[in-house]
This record gives sequence, C-alpha cells and structure tokens, in this order.
Amino acid sequence: MPPKRKAPPGQATASKAGRASAKSTPGPATPRSVGSSVMSEAEEDFDEDVSEAQRQREELLSQEADEFVTKFTFGGKRLQSQNNDTGGEGRRQDAATAFFRKRDFSHLPLKPDHQNRPLWIDPDSCTVVLERFNPLAEQATDFLITIAEPKSRPTFLHEYALTPHSLYAAVSVGLRPRDIINTLDRFLKTSLPDIVRKKIEDHTRSFGKVKLVLKHNKYFVESVDAEVLQTLLKDSVIGGLRVHGSDNFTTSFAPTMGGLVIPGTQNAAGLHQANLRQAGKNPGEGGNASNEADLFTALNEEDDDDDKEAVHAFEISDANVETVQKRCLDIGFPILEEYDFRNDDVNPNLEIDLRPNTQIRPYQEKSLSKMFGNGRAKSGIIVLPCGAGKTLVGITAACTIKKGVIVLCTSSMSVVQWRQEFLKWSNINPDDVAIFTAESKNKFSGSTGVIVTTYSMVTNSRERSHDSKKMMDFLRGREWGLMLLDEVHVVPAEMFRRVISSIKSHSKLGLTATLLREDDKISHLNFLIGPKLYEANWMELSQQGHIAKVQCAEVWCPMPTEFYDEYLRATARMRRTLYAMNPRKFQACQYLINYHEARGDKIIVFSDELYSLKQYALKLKKVFIYGGTSQAERMQVLENFQHNPAVNTLFLSKIGDTSLDLPEATCLIQISSHFGSRRQEAQRLGRILRAKRRNDEGFNAFFYSLVSKDTQEMYYSSKRQAFLVDQGYAFKVITQLANIENTPDLAFATPQESRELLQRTLVDNERGAEDDVETDDLFGRPGRGSGGGGGRGGRRGGAAGNGVRRTAGMLSELAGGHDMAYIEQNKAANKGLRGAKKKGAGADGQSKFFKGLQREKDKSKSRG
Amino acid sequence: MVKAVRGVLVECEPAIKSILVHIDSTNNNEFIIEDLDETHLFVKETMVHLLKQKLEDRLKETYRPEEPLEDSE
Repeated sequence: MPPKRKAPPGQATASKAGRASAKSTPGPATPRSVGSSVMSEAEEDFDEDVSEAQRQREELLSQEADEFVTKFTFGGKRLQSQNNDTGGEGRRQDAATAFFRKRDFSHLPLKPDHQNRPLWIDPDSCTVVLERFNPLAEQATDFLITIAEPKSRPTFLHEYALTPHSLYAAVSVGLRPRDIINTLDRFLKTSLPDIVRKKIEDHTRSFGKVKLVLKHNKYFVESVDAEVLQTLLKDSVIGGLRVHGSDNFTTSFAPTMGGLVIPGTQNAAGLHQANLRQAGKNPGEGGNASNEADLFTALNEEDDDDDKEAVHAFEISDANVETVQKRCLDIGFPILEEYDFRNDDVNPNLEIDLRPNTQIRPYQEKSLSKMFGNGRAKSGIIVLPCGAGKTLVGITAACTIKKGVIVLCTSSMSVVQWRQEFLKWSNINPDDVAIFTAESKNKFSGSTGVIVTTYSMVTNSRERSHDSKKMMDFLRGREWGLMLLDEVHVVPAEMFRRVISSIKSHSKLGLTATLLREDDKISHLNFLIGPKLYEANWMELSQQGHIAKVQCAEVWCPMPTEFYDEYLRATARMRRTLYAMNPRKFQACQYLINYHEARGDKIIVFSDELYSLKQYALKLKKVFIYGGTSQAERMQVLENFQHNPAVNTLFLSKIGDTSLDLPEATCLIQISSHFGSRRQEAQRLGRILRAKRRNDEGFNAFFYSLVSKDTQEMYYSSKRQAFLVDQGYAFKVITQLANIENTPDLAFATPQESRELLQRTLVDNERGAEDDVETDDLFGRPGRGSGGGGGRGGRRGGAAGNGVRRTAGMLSELAGGHDMAYIEQNKAANKGLRGAKKKGAGADGQSKFFKGLQREKDKSKSRG
Repeated sequence: MVKAVRGVLVECEPAIKSILVHIDSTNNNEFIIEDLDETHLFVKETMVHLLKQKLEDRLKETYRPEEPLEDSE
C-alpha cells in the first residue's frame, strides 16, 4: 500500500475555519446542489467487486480531494485571506444597501464611458457578467472564453467565472498575465478591482513551471528551473513520494537520499542522464537541503530553443501521481500535463488521418485548438451538447496525435459505435481498431493502434478470464498517446483513479455533454483528467443548425382530490408513484401523444417510475422498453420505432437516458424523473437534439415535462431545469391544455375511473414490490434480479422481483382447478410486434429445435 | 338546546383543502367544524390563526423556499 498523505492537524482546522468564514462559495466552475441524496445505483454497482482495503483507500482519497477542492476555489480561505481589506471605505450607504448585503459593489467607480463597455465584475467570486447586446460583446466573448469558464448563457446576459483552471488554460495558450489584466480592464465598466488583479497575477505567475511527463512508462516531475524542483523535493509530501534510485542508473550511492535527477531534452526523450546528489538529510523529513540546487547539472545546455532547455526531473510512482498533483497545486506550482507528441520518437506512429471529405465544424475546431493550443496536447475535458459530434472531436484529436489511442466508453453498444465512427471518419486500417469487451478481445495487428473498450472492462478487479487478463496486461504494458474518455460525467471518481493508475497515457481527453453531478464529485475530474478546455454554447449551435431547436414546456397537472389526500398520507416512495400516476397527468400525456402523432412526430416518453411506465404504456397501447426487456425485444422495438410508421410512440425507462441514438425522435415527454437531477434532464433533452429533420424550415423539437401540481415534483422540476436554463433554454409553463376534455377515449375521464386507478395503484404498490428491478445497462452488466421474466406483457410482470411472498395454497389453485382463471388484460404492444416478427421468422431458416433451445436459454437467463 | 359554535368559512383550492383536512385529522379534528364541498370548509374561529400557521409549515415542505443567495449571510 502506498503511503497515505495525512493532512497535518493544523492545516485541517485552518481549512475548516476557512470554509466557515469564506461564505461557502461553491466552485465557480461547477454548479452544485444540496440535494445529493441522488447517487445513482450504478455507482454502487461499480464498487461491489473491489476489495475492502482498496475501497477504504479510495474513500480517503475522495475525502481528501473534497477538502482540497473546497480549499482551491476562489472563495476558499487560501485565496481570501490576503484581502480582508475589501471595500470598507468608499462604500456608500443608502436605502437600498441592505438588500444587496455583501453583493453591494457600488463602491466600484464606473468609468465615464461605461455604456460602451460590456463587462461587469463581482470581485468576491470573480464572476464576470457580459452584456450580450453590447456592440463589443463579440470580442469580449472570445476573450472571456479563453480566460474564464462559462457559467450561464441565456440570451442577453452571460456569466463567466474566473477560476484557477481557466486562468491556467489561458496562460498555456500563450496569454501573458499583463495581457489578461489589460484586456479585462478595457472591457470592464468599472476599473479592475485590485483583488481580482492580484488573483490573476497570483494564479498566472507560477503556471507552467512544473510538468508531469510520462517517459518509458514512468511518471516524472519535470522542470526547467532546478530551484523549483528543489522546493518541491523539500516539501514534506512530495519529497516522500519520490521514487528512489529505481532507474536504469547504476551508480546510486546513498540510498537514503538518492537524489536522482534526469536531465534530458524534449526531443531526445530516450536519452537519460542522471546526476546523483548527496545531501545530509532525506528531503522527506523536510530537513535542510540548501545549496543543492547547484548540484544539478544539465545536459545540452547549448540548445538555444526554449523548448530544448535543460530539464530536471525526478520520478514518482504511478499511485502517487494524483497526490503530487494536488500538493503541487496547493503550494502554488500547478503541474502542467502536456504531451509533446510530435517529438515523441519512442512510441510508434499510427497511420491515421481524417478522410479528405471529412469537414469538422467551426466549434469542433475551436475546441480542438484549445487542446492543441501550443502544439502539444493538453489533457482536459471538452463539453459539447449531445448530438453535436463529440465522437468526431475525439477522432480528430486521435488523428492529430497519431499515436496509440485507447477509447473508454460506457457500454458495449457504444464500443461498437466508436469503432464504426473511427472507420467512417478516418482512413485507419480496420485491423488497427480493436475492441476489448466481454465478447471480443482483439489486438491490433501493427505495432500500435486504437483500442476501444468500456470502463468496467478496464476496472474490473475480479477474477477474469485468461483472455481478458492477457489483454489487460497488454494494455498496462504500453504507453498510450491519447486516452479518450467518453461520457466522463457518469463515471465515479474512484473508477477513474483505477483507470488512470492502471493505464498509462500521455494525454487524456474527456468528452461529455453535461459536466455535472448532483453529488459534487465533478470537481475531482479536474484533477484526474484536466481542466475544462471548451464548452460549447448550446444556443449558438442550435441557431447554426448543428443541433435541433427545442421548445421546452412544463405542463402543470393538478392532482385530483382523492389522489392528493392519499399523497399527503403516503410514504416518500408511494408519493413518487402517486404523482406519476396522477390521472390528469395521464390525460395530458395522452393528449400530447395524440396531438404530436397527428403532426407526424415520433415521440419518446420517459418515466423513471417503472410501475407507471408500464401502466401508461399498457393503457395507451404503446411499445415500451425498460431494464428487464430482453436484448432481442429491445432491438425489435427500436427498429419498429425507427421504421414502422404505425409505431410512433416509445416508452422508455431511464435506461434510455444516455447513449441511445434515435435521430427519428422529435418530441419528448417526461412523466417522471430522478428527483432534481439536472444531468438527466439535459441528457434526455439530448435525445431529440440530433433530430434528423432539424434543418427543415421552421422545425422545432418539443420537450414536455409533466408535473403534478402542489407536490414535491414542482420543486424538483425547477431544480432540474437549472442547467438547461443556464444554457439559454426557456421553459414555458402550461397550466391548461386546450380542448383536452374533447380527446376521444380520454383515459380516466370520470371520477369513478380515477378512483379505481387510485385503488389499483395503492394495492399494486402496497407490497413495495415494484422496486426498481431495472438495472442500468449502461455499463454492460447483465440485468440482475428477475426482471427479465416480467414485462412480457403480464400486467404485474416483474413485480415479483424483490418481494417474494410465501403463501399456503393448493397446487390445483394455480392450475385453475379451483375457481381461478387467468386472463390477460391490457396486452403489451411489444407483444404485437413480436407476433408480427414471428410470422416472418420462419423464413430465416432457424429450425424448431434451435428455437426451442434459445427459448430455454432465455428462460433460464431470466430466472437466474 | 341548540349549541352554536362561531366559525369562519374558508374558501381554497382543492389541494389546499386536502392539506387542511389532513392537518385537521392529525390534530384530533380540532380545527374543522364542517367539510362543505370541494373548495369550502367551515373552521372554528379560534383556531384559524393556528391553522394558517400549520398550513404555512406544510407548504414549506412541499415548495422548499428559494435557497438564499450563496453568499448573502
């Protein structure tokens, strides 16, 4: 077990006090929320195959990261302490002052020509507000995108936050601190507050001094400035983590000290020279290590190019990379992770180029230019809306680096998709794109290539088959030029730690549409992968026609009194079922489906609540897919939805939230959802952003969220929308659907029927049996539990899932020998499809015997 | 002998009425004299104030109040 870092007690209390006094400003880059009761179950799934010790260690790491993240925001004590002299004098008091509390910035003098300048600034949180309607807005936007992270971008006012990461990104593309300050000052309506100036200077001064490089499968901390390295070595944390004398260097004399320094040049990475120093004390003990700096000798000093300056380095072990990174940031030497791929002669080049006819869109180019800003590859995250071509960005990055690439995605379905995309957009030899999943384990033919796999394959620490083990050793044993991480937001930080510690790559590129998690763990990604390099403006993309224009609406459905009475008395779980089963909501859903089907839209209806999903789908006679639906049935339903003009509506449980590509869908209705998860809302919206017809004149996609009035759903709903509202989407509230009462066959139109529905809902859910049998297919896990057998049309299908009941009875009762008879009501529409398919199936030559065998297999699978 | 109780007629939305009835039933029925129809209740005059307060509390649970500005303490 590697040594753990314990924060010295003094520091811990300091940080605590800091948090209390520093007004708990959340990290500017990442919106947070309080309701974090909503960790996905998928997360727990990941952990079940991990040893206790490892889990503990990860918990510790994650805690540390938490603490650290809090400290390292602008609101944190570390940055706040130096400027307690804020305001004070010069602050005017008037009648309105009280309302602004600490956000009163009237002491900042306006410039005489302030109307012509587009920016406001909040010096405490370093938030910059941009007036989009200002004539200078365009230039200001370009500048702000470089130096700050976008927080919110509706039509007229944009909000950006200056964060250490964004400033560091700015410096690494070549902006000098002076330029940043001057330009900012030029755009501001007020003069630049001193605090902000100081912060910018503080955070830009030491950037880029220290680098983390990967050479020969080992990590080195590198710097051109020997003194900086000395400071690092003297640091109590980092010094201890250095790997002593483990290199190919033979002449190590003092094992206690072993000051191994490897100077080298950027373009001769293979050439290692080291110099051994001897000093009295182990730097790990923080003893005096003075006059050591001059002991560093540098090779190749003559090289006149800046890049070829002598570089000093020491090695750290893989497990400690993150700790060192954090510590370096903490003491003011943020580590730069860059990969000079053009000068890497060690790793073989990969024959890959974009096809000549491939055109990348302007915003894709912009995002990549941020990654390759200075001719090297920076690690980081690119945020593009769903359907805006994230895959192509990843592939272009791979084509730029031209080294071995490893792609990690969330499910085996997307593994296949990624491979196809690679073949589609680039001229890579198909043999060089290999797939590593449970089913297929290929290696590429040449010396290097592309491997596509899933997170779970790589992190699975259980016993694996011989093949996978061999494959993993293969993956571990090499250096990769680029690691592409698809849908980074879904994967817990612990998993990343495992991925990153087991696979060595020079640069990492994360791709996602929604860089948020309700559990605040997103900030950890900044340390594990890198800063957010680029975030696209959704509104701009939809105006340019790259993604569909969407009309969002929230439909308020009143609860009938009986339902509401029940709701007040119910448990939390039952409440959720009740507000999903609200008959008025049902009617609204029916009405919207009718309306949009008549317009020729293809509709997806989302429901998190399994029980209501089935009830709705059965009652309205539509097809549905949920976790327990078998793979074959899923494919069939999806195919029908895409091509069959008779199937225009599809009901989906939360398995459809991500990575389901249905360009036909143009309308989306949401009847129940996962509490206040902004990510889910955005991902669901993403399902219709890539609508095929998006470029038709006047085309709009529709997004409806049905909400039961006077319930907690209202609260959650407003929370969920926060992210989309930040992206500039406006939600219309619909309180009354016109002519809803004239809908033919309106469900539950009479109070009688609605009462029956209530009774049935209560009875069916009393046992609590309808607990989610659903499993997230996302990570390629086969469905657990007995959900598989359910849903085959039976009304109460899948209900037996968790609540097995034992009752006394006669066998003859079950067989219908007494007065019991079975009748199938409310036949599932899925079945109809299957029937139609069966007739055709005889043709594909499968003999009866094999079909029977298949059936047996299915059955045993669903039982197991 | 006729026994008279002074009361107040309360008119409200059905949902609010449900909440009021629920409050009443969890407090030994000491608020409501008569449940008139979907939107009307007859409530003991002396208890109106207390009932209002309880309703406020209940609504707060449903619509959690706006979270205060992050740093406006």
